[in-house]
Amino acid sequence: MSFLEQVGRAAIVQVEDAGAVTIQFWSVLRKLPRILPIVGGRRRWRSTVEQMFAIGASALPMSATMSLCTGFILALQSGSELRRFGALEFVVDLVAIGFTRELGPLITALSVSGRSASAIAAEIGTMVVTEEIDSLRVMGLDPVEFTLAPKYLASLITVPCLTILSTLCGIFAGYLFLAFSMDMSLHNYFHAVAEAILLRDLFFALVKSMVFATVIVHVGCLEGLRVHGGPEAVGHSTTAAVVKSTFLIIVADLLATAIFYLLGWSSLG
Amino acid sequence: MTNSTAVKTGDALISIRGVSMSYGARRVLDSVDLDVCRGEILVLLGGSGSGKTTLLKHLLGLAKPETGRITINGVDITCCSPSELGAVRRRIGVAFQGGALFNSMSVEDNVALPLRELTRLADSTIKLVVWMNLIAVGLADAGSLHPPELSGGMRKRAAVARAMALDPEILILDEPSAGLDPIVSAGLDELILFLNRSFGITILVITHELESAFHIADRVAMLYQGRLIAVDRKEQFAGNAHPRIRQFLDRQPDAVPRVAGDQFIAEFFRGIQT
Repeated sequence: MSFLEQVGRAAIVQVEDAGAVTIQFWSVLRKLPRILPIVGGRRRWRSTVEQMFAIGASALPMSATMSLCTGFILALQSGSELRRFGALEFVVDLVAIGFTRELGPLITALSVSGRSASAIAAEIGTMVVTEEIDSLRVMGLDPVEFTLAPKYLASLITVPCLTILSTLCGIFAGYLFLAFSMDMSLHNYFHAVAEAILLRDLFFALVKSMVFATVIVHVGCLEGLRVHGGPEAVGHSTTAAVVKSTFLIIVADLLATAIFYLLGWSSLG
Repeated sequence: MTNSTAVKTGDALISIRGVSMSYGARRVLDSVDLDVCRGEILVLLGGSGSGKTTLLKHLLGLAKPETGRITINGVDITCCSPSELGAVRRRIGVAFQGGALFNSMSVEDNVALPLRELTRLADSTIKLVVWMNLIAVGLADAGSLHPPELSGGMRKRAAVARAMALDPEILILDEPSAGLDPIVSAGLDELILFLNRSFGITILVITHELESAFHIADRVAMLYQGRLIAVDRKEQFAGNAHPRIRQFLDRQPDAVPRVAGDQFIAEFFRGIQT
């Protein structure tokens, strides 16, 4: 095969991939109204709630602990430097802004990606291998509506909620550090936090976390549907799902932060 | 391939005409012609990689053939609209090879799924239909179990019960006896015969198990390398002289081209030198 042929073939594969990603995204978006409560089907909403437990609720202990630890680490590291300038109280700003804008969404997304992107890929991949997806189609049920859409909605709802909770945990860890090192009271601490962060920082965090949620569930579903052949292919797809979603989360984070920076939204005051 | 048993086209519930399909350079289906008549049990035999599963996917509209037409109940499913395809599929019940039951639901819920999703029946009616179907396949007391708790044979039966839920005209069974012991497999054969005789369902069985095939079949068809090499009543089929069919029926292995050890080594070194 000539070099040109190889380049061409690789390009075709990439374009096909991009097409598959977009088509799947659109078909899920079109089905989302049908799984909402009240306007959609009751049974779909129930499976969405089940997914919310699987993706969100059970990830809470892990992402909360990770945020607590990271918050404390951040306070320790910055505290040891800031203490030299007698500016220990600036730890509050650092932890509050750092967590709201950046670490809260990121740590939540990474912990959900590790738990759920692989779980989603494994579940859907197994359904492909055992012909469950085919059998849904033959029964006249749309696999997108039946299995994919509830996962999308569940993750779009739960990941922002988790983000808020783990941001709170991270900021609370900052309080623990300051309470030990300079006897700051909880009231004073949260007063300082409220002054440090802006409403737009929160908005920024929630937008980011919804982008991350989409990345996680989209990669998980796509890798699951791509499974061909036997059960060992499921293993490959789960690994690929975690690796790709983690990578894409970081890239998406960079893009989102850059966009907000260019819009001038991230400057203080 | 001509049918020695003359089939009136009016009788054909499924009619496959000149269906071909290839993946890359490999021809998986090569102008297959096959009729499945109303009320019969047709067994489609074929070894591994003969194109059985591909043909099944085409029959269900999960894949489109490169050429040829597949008509089910008078509707050409290779070029009909999605809603027409949906209507055709509602008349077909399929039990996939592994059962394809949903693991998160109990057997009852699995059988009830198509009824709940596709009909407006009341819950009490659905319960009754599910119960009747489970009795018909002999799983009356396993309704509350989940698929991972079932044995292989029970899983196949549950899949048949789900396939029967919407009262289909055609029942398609993919490898019903694969991986089952002879007793359980014989029980499934009886179930297939029972469903055919008492409800008049047209049944297409895809398998490579000879004994069960000849026990249940009205007619037997054989796929080999994507071509349909015989379709016949089972009595005539057993006497077919086609070498591949003889080999299949007499369980003879393929001749393996053997290279003697030293010859292999000689060729190996010649390969290195050039």
